[in-house]
Amino acid sequence: MDSAKQADESKKGHEKPRSAKDRFGGAIFVVGSLLVALVAEFLLPRLIEDSSVRNILMTICCNAVVALSLNVINGMAGQFSIGHAGFMALGAYTAALIVSAMHTSFGGGTLPPTSFDHDYLVAFGHSFAIVPVALLAGALVAALFGLLVGLPSLRLRGDYLAIVTLGFAEILRLSVATTRLGNDETVGEAVHAIGGPNGFFGPVFHVGSVFLSSLGGKKGYSGPDGAGVPLYAGPFWVIFITALVALVAWRLKFSGWGRALRALREDEIASEAVGVDPTRYKVTSFVISAFGGGLAGALYAIMRDGNPVVQPDSFTFQTSFDAITMVIIGGSGSVTGAILGAVFVTVTVKLIELVQHADVVQNLSSSLEAHGFSLDLNALRMMIYAGVIIALMVLRPEGVFGEREPFFKKRMRTREGAPA
Amino acid sequence: MRIAHPTRALRTKTGTPLLSIEGLEVHYGGIRALKGISLSIDQGEIVSVIGANGAGKTTTLKTISRLLPITAGTIRYDDRDLGAMSTEEVVEAGISLVPEGRAIFPNLTVRENLELGAFHHKHRQTMAETMEDVTKLFPRLGERLGQDGGTLSGGEQQMLAIGRALMARPSLLLLDEPSLGIAPKLAQQIFAAIRTIAEAGMTILLVEQNTRLALSVSRRAYVLRTGEVSLEGDAKDLAKNEEIQKAYLGGV
Repeated sequence: MDSAKQADESKKGHEKPRSAKDRFGGAIFVVGSLLVALVAEFLLPRLIEDSSVRNILMTICCNAVVALSLNVINGMAGQFSIGHAGFMALGAYTAALIVSAMHTSFGGGTLPPTSFDHDYLVAFGHSFAIVPVALLAGALVAALFGLLVGLPSLRLRGDYLAIVTLGFAEILRLSVATTRLGNDETVGEAVHAIGGPNGFFGPVFHVGSVFLSSLGGKKGYSGPDGAGVPLYAGPFWVIFITALVALVAWRLKFSGWGRALRALREDEIASEAVGVDPTRYKVTSFVISAFGGGLAGALYAIMRDGNPVVQPDSFTFQTSFDAITMVIIGGSGSVTGAILGAVFVTVTVKLIELVQHADVVQNLSSSLEAHGFSLDLNALRMMIYAGVIIALMVLRPEGVFGEREPFFKKRMRTREGAPA
Repeated sequence: MRIAHPTRALRTKTGTPLLSIEGLEVHYGGIRALKGISLSIDQGEIVSVIGANGAGKTTTLKTISRLLPITAGTIRYDDRDLGAMSTEEVVEAGISLVPEGRAIFPNLTVRENLELGAFHHKHRQTMAETMEDVTKLFPRLGERLGQDGGTLSGGEQQMLAIGRALMARPSLLLLDEPSLGIAPKLAQQIFAAIRTIAEAGMTILLVEQNTRLALSVSRRAYVLRTGEVSLEGDAKDLAKNEEIQKAYLGGV
């Protein structure tokens, strides 16, 4: 063989001069997305006057965060979690509670319309205090639950994680949806009863019930005075956070950590033999995934043009399944694929909603109802996804992109000599 | 060749073995796979463990790597008790396993496979040096650094598995059936490489079904039979042993 070539090959490991793009790529990306997000904050409401269209764009971003975070555990680590909606719910409720509380302490009232006057700028300024706290809290609560769920179930191989995550998400949703106490007792009052004549554990349990009940049950949580959760996260926050998450997902994938995950997915015994601790890596990726799920849920709960009520029905098994669809369609393990999967799923959801509300369909639906039938196009969506997934299984079992990153040909492999 | 870790100072005094196993018992569920075996390896030695299928050879290696739980007995390595360590700690302590059946990562490149071997020392310079040593030892790997591991031939995959284990700069190398399912010519090459590694000062515990090959490179050997050590001794003596010739070398 060509010995000069070999020498050249082995030298690469030593000192590969890193280009400016390599060194500052992350920083450039962050600054760039900050600028784009700022411009969007002020231009988007003028360019797109229809708030439902803005809602689609923002939802695409939120779903991208959902897909990117689920991709860490389902795609990169190869474990099957089907309860992502549970973490989203945790993030959403936490963020909604915090935003409501902070909004009240900042003076309350309704948020000003986006007319770029003084009031609007003040609210935008406040969002810099409120949004990061709410998002971080939502993500951290979800991550904490991720640790609690992941520690026992990831020690085992196989389908345990799927069963546990599904159960977890449903228990969480049903606890919130069904806990309604008849009285107006506040959490504070319930806390005062601890250590009273009823002892300790009874009242503590009661505090939990009162808290869950204060989340509004099936109707959902709609802010401190029922006027809706103040939606502080405008296009700036939604776009910027999504960009940040995409950057982190990208970095994770191509780090030594991501490579260890890929190794673990390929051969668990061999990775153990080189010193990768499977449980530690799986639990860490699950916690990261839960963190991202909480972040997405939090963003979803407080995004402008979104729904000002956080409802348990937004976090059903259907939501988890949509997230899985995004990851599978795009290609498990692919960051680009996850984003495109999110776009596909969001757009089909919204398109079908639009068609459902069209006059023709409404007329047809009501005439059918007269004969005792009902027409729910949302069911059609599941058929489309099922069809797409079956077609993919036959034609491209690895998803549209597999693990690859299209448009980024140069960095498809782990960076050479990346520290593990 | 600088494959052994230069800074990994071993506390072993001359005369005490690098690895010593005493009364080791291992169960797979209710089945007693190892029934109290004892063996020891001095620093710089190649010791092989031979025996038929199901004798407990692989189990022994996996237990040393702490991939299997110990029922009874002790494993001491350089004055340390391996029984209390996790697989990761064993790798860090300087014991690398080349698993049976060339367990490489097929969808990772050869380079990535090798870099994963160096999972524990994050120093770029050391890693690059070791990589150089490994590609010198197995030039074929050097030619195929950018290729996916799964596209290599069986023999090359075995080289990759050994190279990956060497990347950890171990003091003790555990080899599980390096000749399994490999063309005889490539098996010869691999055993030549094992000799080279040993000459560089590596201590090697070799598990092998190919008794002739195993005895030809080792100094001492243990014969396992259904979870017990049935014979042990100098490799040259064992090669002449009538019982072994009958059972494993196909008669005289």
